[in-house]
Amino acid sequence: MIDFPSKQRPFTLLAIVLLLQVLLLAFQIKRERDVRLVRVWAAELFTPIQRVATWSLSGLGGGWHNYIALRHLRQENDQLHGELDSLRLRNRELESRALEADRLAALLHFRDTHTEAPMLFAQVIGASADSTSRIVFINRGERDHLKRNLAVITPDGVVGKIVEVTANSAQVLLITDKDSGVGALFTETRTQGVVKGTGEPQLQMEYVVNEERVHAGEAIVTSGEDRIFPKDLPLATATAARPGNPFQKIDVKPVARLDRLEEVIVLLSQQDISLKPETEVPASAPATSASPPTNPKGQQ
Amino acid sequence: MSSRAQAEQHIEVHKFYGGAMALAAFLALVLQAFLNKYGSWAAMLELPLLIIIYFSVSRRSPAIGLLLGAAVGILQDAVSHMPIGFYGIAKTLVGYVASSFGARIDTEHPLSRFGLVVGFFFFHQAVLTVLNRLILGRPGIYFSWRLLLASVVNAGIAMALYPALDRLRKPHG
Repeated sequence: MIDFPSKQRPFTLLAIVLLLQVLLLAFQIKRERDVRLVRVWAAELFTPIQRVATWSLSGLGGGWHNYIALRHLRQENDQLHGELDSLRLRNRELESRALEADRLAALLHFRDTHTEAPMLFAQVIGASADSTSRIVFINRGERDHLKRNLAVITPDGVVGKIVEVTANSAQVLLITDKDSGVGALFTETRTQGVVKGTGEPQLQMEYVVNEERVHAGEAIVTSGEDRIFPKDLPLATATAARPGNPFQKIDVKPVARLDRLEEVIVLLSQQDISLKPETEVPASAPATSASPPTNPKGQQ
Repeated sequence: MSSRAQAEQHIEVHKFYGGAMALAAFLALVLQAFLNKYGSWAAMLELPLLIIIYFSVSRRSPAIGLLLGAAVGILQDAVSHMPIGFYGIAKTLVGYVASSFGARIDTEHPLSRFGLVVGFFFFHQAVLTVLNRLILGRPGIYFSWRLLLASVVNAGIAMALYPALDRLRKPHG
């Protein structure tokens, strides 16, 4: 008689025999839609495994795409940041050139609308090293027929006057300098006075009697009495006035942007010109129509 | 040595003449199929189950018990309309558990045999119910008065059958 391993592995044998019979049953029995039970069990057994496997592969794929494959992202990011910084610099440069073109277009328009007055364009090439004086240097000099006491303006208004001339440059005393004084008058009342520099951005108008009523915001133009600046050039606007002895103390603000001077106009004579509103540049004026800015020779 | 081991030493392991188990199982299956033709009362009988219980308890070998149960159950499936393995699984478990019981308690006493048959009848029925519900998707019951009656009837038959089967044992020595 066969000697079964009855005491050694009965439970294993039981499991095997039961499993075989369960499989046998599963192969015979059909469930809904005539599907064999073994197929149903196989599907139920493998579906979760496949789901987990798919999820794992998806997770691995996601990890690959989102992390590992992007390991050069930092390097690329740094490179893009560098390119961005470079483009920003380039953009600022282009913006600066566009502004320069706009300014030159305004100057050209100013020249075209004031053909009766001889003038010369100049670039501001430097400023005084002395902090107490308000002086700038321009790239025009004796070779361009400049001389002392010529008026320097912008399309906005009066800038100052030439005080020193060399062969290729000239020194311009701004109206904000302490030593500067410009004959002026109020546009409304035609009251005359002298606009003097203080060494600060603000100016003061002197020699206006206390009885004269001055309004804040009132426009002040050149009077032409100083024999330097043509009459009626925009000079400043009143900001405040208070009684003084014997004259009022009137604070005024220059209309020209003296802190941002880059191109200026030198008037070669004291012939009267009017700056506004004729000098305003049309909106449609092409910025690129300006001639090269560095060396304008447009003496009229 | 533990008291349990000492008790097991006093339980005899019976051996049978060659072919006795196979012949008895075959006859039980044939008789079961034969009697089923003569009315629904015969459906209460489970002669193959009685044979398995007897030989498993007597041989006290789980391997022999489960293999005998599997073989008889599969044959019973083969001659019935049930899928192969249905009775096979149930009788495999009965053979395995009965042999384990036989190794631990005295199964020679008639009352013990009566109780074992009733118990294993319900155990067998419980496994069939589980299989019905889980695998076949059919309803099944674990207990009813008819099942109780059937268990008692089978136990009564066992009281007459088992002494006859005892004669197939090899004498000791």
